[in-house]
Amino acid sequence: MWIQAAFLLVWLDPAGLRMHTMCSPVFHCYACPLATFACPIGVIAQFGALHVFPFIAVGLLIAVGALFGTLICGWVCPFGFLQDLAAKVPTPKFDLPKFTGYFRYVVLIVTVLAVPYFFGEEHPLFVCRVCPAGALEAAVPTMVGQAINSEEVIWPSIFKLTILVLFLFSIFFIKRPWCRVLCPLGAIFSLFNRVSAFFLRFNDDKCTHCERCHKLCEYGIEPEKTPNDLSCIRCLECTRCSPDALNLGSIFEQAKGKK
Amino acid sequence: MVNKNTKILIFGLLLLLGAALLGYGAFFHSTNISARQGGEAVLLAKSETALIKEASVSGVKRDESGKIKQTYEIGEKAPETCST
Repeated sequence: MWIQAAFLLVWLDPAGLRMHTMCSPVFHCYACPLATFACPIGVIAQFGALHVFPFIAVGLLIAVGALFGTLICGWVCPFGFLQDLAAKVPTPKFDLPKFTGYFRYVVLIVTVLAVPYFFGEEHPLFVCRVCPAGALEAAVPTMVGQAINSEEVIWPSIFKLTILVLFLFSIFFIKRPWCRVLCPLGAIFSLFNRVSAFFLRFNDDKCTHCERCHKLCEYGIEPEKTPNDLSCIRCLECTRCSPDALNLGSIFEQAKGKK
Repeated sequence: MVNKNTKILIFGLLLLLGAALLGYGAFFHSTNISARQGGEAVLLAKSETALIKEASVSGVKRDESGKIKQTYEIGEKAPETCST
């Protein structure tokens, strides 16, 4: 939690730098009054609409994904942090079937790639027009600012507002619903989980098959079977298993070990 | 299951690819944008970083002919919020 909170000092622009000429590797709307960097998903979609290849956004996501995979989701992303905070509220929690995680790839392909490229920014399914991060972090503060300044309040679409309301409701009853079901950025990073420099290491010789890691994992993954699962956000809760059969490893350790 | 050496190789290649794309986009890539100045159409070459900033405030748009156009005139104040 403290690491996630510390990263907010990077994403929420305490120095007022507004460096929107660069992307960050996290899900944070660039229209947010407190955004330091541009959202990589927004950049990919906007550039798709312009039919221009987004070298910076794609290069950044490949480099960061190759290093960390979904460790970014679990420890760095402010939108994930918001959901983690909401999950702390003592409400009944419900689980989602694992197959719902594949819907992230549909969201990525449809709203981030296909719709912008073939239909442009005006299409109602353009990712920024449905994104709850944009609604919560940008649209709501903008509307509040407009109301305070007695300007005309420009409301986002009903669809966007509905998704925002559903999101705000679900985060108290499902752990990380956006990350598990809809996040296109998590979908991209998950593709690197099996090859990233930092990964979840499973030590078969230490495992006692107690299945404690199944209970520690809040995302329905069996870490001892698929430690670098596509659905894993690398929260590292499973590394609390007492035989220390699961821990965070890196290829740099292995390279040193070889010498 | 990917073995250790393969993992190092894949990681290295991906990092190199990512860094190359990032570097090219940050320092070399530019796009021609049509803008209006005093009623006349002018062609500007915008770097990718400038284009990211423009895109974040809906300052550029692709028209039906495929040209990228600035949504405001040169000299005018750029939009402040994204239209989405």
